Amino acid sequence: MTNDHLKGLFVYCLLCCTQRTDVFGAHGWDTKVAQLLLNEPKNPKCFAEGLRDLTCFWEEDEERAGSADQYSFIYTYQNENSSECNVTAQPAEGSKNLYFCRLSQTQLFAPVDIQVFRDGLLIHNRSLHIEYVFLLDPPSNLTVTQTGSPGQLKARWLPPPPKYIDDSMMYEVSYTVAGSRTEQVAEVRASSELILRGLQPGSRYNVRVRVKLDGVSYNGYWSAWTDPVLMEMMPGDLDPLIVFLALIISLILTLLSLTVLLSHRRFLLDKVWPVIPTPESKFQGLFTVYGGDFEEWLGYSAGDLFLRPAYFYTEEIPAPLEVLSEVGLDSQLCSSPLPPKAQQVLDDGKEEKLKQMDSSTDGWSETPHEHWLMDELRVLHLLPTPQDPQLKSQDAYVTLNAQNHSGPEPLGDVLEETRPLQVLFDSGRTCSDSHSDLGSFQQSSGSGCLSSQSSFEYPNHTWSPKGPGYTYMAVADSGVSMDYSPMSSSKIDFMGKGVAYTNEYRNEIPAHRQPVPFAF
Amino acid sequence: MQTGLLPYGPFWLGQGVLTLLLMLLEWTRPGLTSPLRPICDLRVLKHFIEEAKDAEAAMLTCKEGCGLAELVTVPQTKVDFNVWEIKNAPEQAKEVQSGLWLLSQAMGSLRGSITNTALHGQIDNSLRNIFSIGQVLRSLNFQEYPPPGVGVSGAETWSVSSASELLQVHVNFLRGKVQLLLSNAAACQPGGS
Repeated sequence: MTNDHLKGLFVYCLLCCTQRTDVFGAHGWDTKVAQLLLNEPKNPKCFAEGLRDLTCFWEEDEERAGSADQYSFIYTYQNENSSECNVTAQPAEGSKNLYFCRLSQTQLFAPVDIQVFRDGLLIHNRSLHIEYVFLLDPPSNLTVTQTGSPGQLKARWLPPPPKYIDDSMMYEVSYTVAGSRTEQVAEVRASSELILRGLQPGSRYNVRVRVKLDGVSYNGYWSAWTDPVLMEMMPGDLDPLIVFLALIISLILTLLSLTVLLSHRRFLLDKVWPVIPTPESKFQGLFTVYGGDFEEWLGYSAGDLFLRPAYFYTEEIPAPLEVLSEVGLDSQLCSSPLPPKAQQVLDDGKEEKLKQMDSSTDGWSETPHEHWLMDELRVLHLLPTPQDPQLKSQDAYVTLNAQNHSGPEPLGDVLEETRPLQVLFDSGRTCSDSHSDLGSFQQSSGSGCLSSQSSFEYPNHTWSPKGPGYTYMAVADSGVSMDYSPMSSSKIDFMGKGVAYTNEYRNEIPAHRQPVPFAF
Repeated sequence: MQTGLLPYGPFWLGQGVLTLLLMLLEWTRPGLTSPLRPICDLRVLKHFIEEAKDAEAAMLTCKEGCGLAELVTVPQTKVDFNVWEIKNAPEQAKEVQSGLWLLSQAMGSLRGSITNTALHGQIDNSLRNIFSIGQVLRSLNFQEYPPPGVGVSGAETWSVSSASELLQVHVNFLRGKVQLLLSNAAACQPGGS
């Protein structure tokens, strides 16, 4: 046991020697003193910087102040005898003096009574626990780094001495936007790092830390703040969630706009890029087969003349019936005496016909006469079947022509042509049918009306009119359809060289006789 | 007919079942011999310290019926780190175990002395906490020492005469020596057993 005591005493002396070098050389000692002068109301003001030291001081005005020798600092641990500490003096601001006592060997977890005497008079008395008056150094090596996440910074530091009580330390981190007075603090216990969240991207932050014991086993005052560390946040950091939502919304809007455009693409195309109308649909094969060569498409070469016109008329409505002739019927039809008026009309028509012979043109243009047509019709009406055995009483034909008193008229002059037929109908119309359209004929015995329901056959060869090469057509109305048989004169024998164009016309007159249009 | 003992008779069957049952109870018995997982979380001790502070505060407000009938021996709570750090772990553990035993004896004496029923709960709680700290020390594989016995005195003990002093000693002892022992326990160090 004696050896153990000697051994402990040797170590104790060794430790005391090492601690004497830093009696008043503690870091920030003046700052700590100033802090306690402001925050600690009790006297003497005491603080511990480690597990083995205690510093007490008090302030005296110059009026009352004396030398350090006048003061006595007496401390007494629980269940122990009193001890005395040497007092030192230090001038302070404002004509004051500070008196200090520093203990280098302390006992924690037991109360200690402290008494200060000045010239034998007790001026201060205080009982405290040394482990409750810790005033630590601020943390060291404060570093602030980016975490990689937007709006976050990571602050790390080293805990101050003493060691082995790290788990009893608590830290307060202060972060402020540079230039702003708004301070934000965060607290962390038993850890020497902290992640700061909710920071503004692109801003610069001042970060600082201070430490204090947590108050369970140890307690004390807040340490001084560390020197601030300035850190700049990454600018324009976008929250990944916001970026993702923005992409989703833009994708949805794009799909909607595409859907609308596709549903109205034809309308929009017509507005933006209107289609230039082309006549290609009307001229099938003109551009695809003949490369736009109209003449070739028309087929002016031999043998194509009669084929091409079909393309003109494929989509046309059926061509109006043009039956014209200048048939010299006087030789055939004048076997019976004509009425005087008819005869006169016929003679007039002959003279006029002779005048028109030279001016008549080929083909389709004709200059028929009104009077001879009327005469013919009257003759037919008056002269029944013997002259024309195949033309029965109920048979009838219709010849339509453009009448002209002054000169040749083109076909299609409708107004005055209605007169001969009108006369015809007026003379012979005693039918019960009140239809006045030109397309209906009714025939009854002696009435002069022509029945449209009777069959009609007209021989092609029995009627060979004189005159120039006119083409005419005979109409056979069977009540269901009307057949047009092309007839031609001898001058230009179309019948021999080809087939005159025929346009089959179907009479779709129902039982109650719908009007059938005719063109004049 | 044979009347000799049969190995599978009812009697032997019952004995077998009983033996098996005892073995199971012995195996599952919660006792000192069963190994405990080290309790290294100091928040457990901090909880006990806070409750001890509450008991001390409650005792300060007691006016009547809260005195000790006799002097009780309590451990010294002051810690000189220069001396403490020189001691090895077994010595520290012995000092802590002895002090806890003294405190439990003193708490028991206080429980019988005070008549204020409101403080009975506080005292009982403190007694349970002292027992729990013993379990924590056991979990940290500290060697168990026999109690010093009644009437022992030494440099590490002193006597108190009031309940408030007793509870103050209780708090200081937990905050000091017990906490230093647990925080530096080898079983809780990285790589320690």
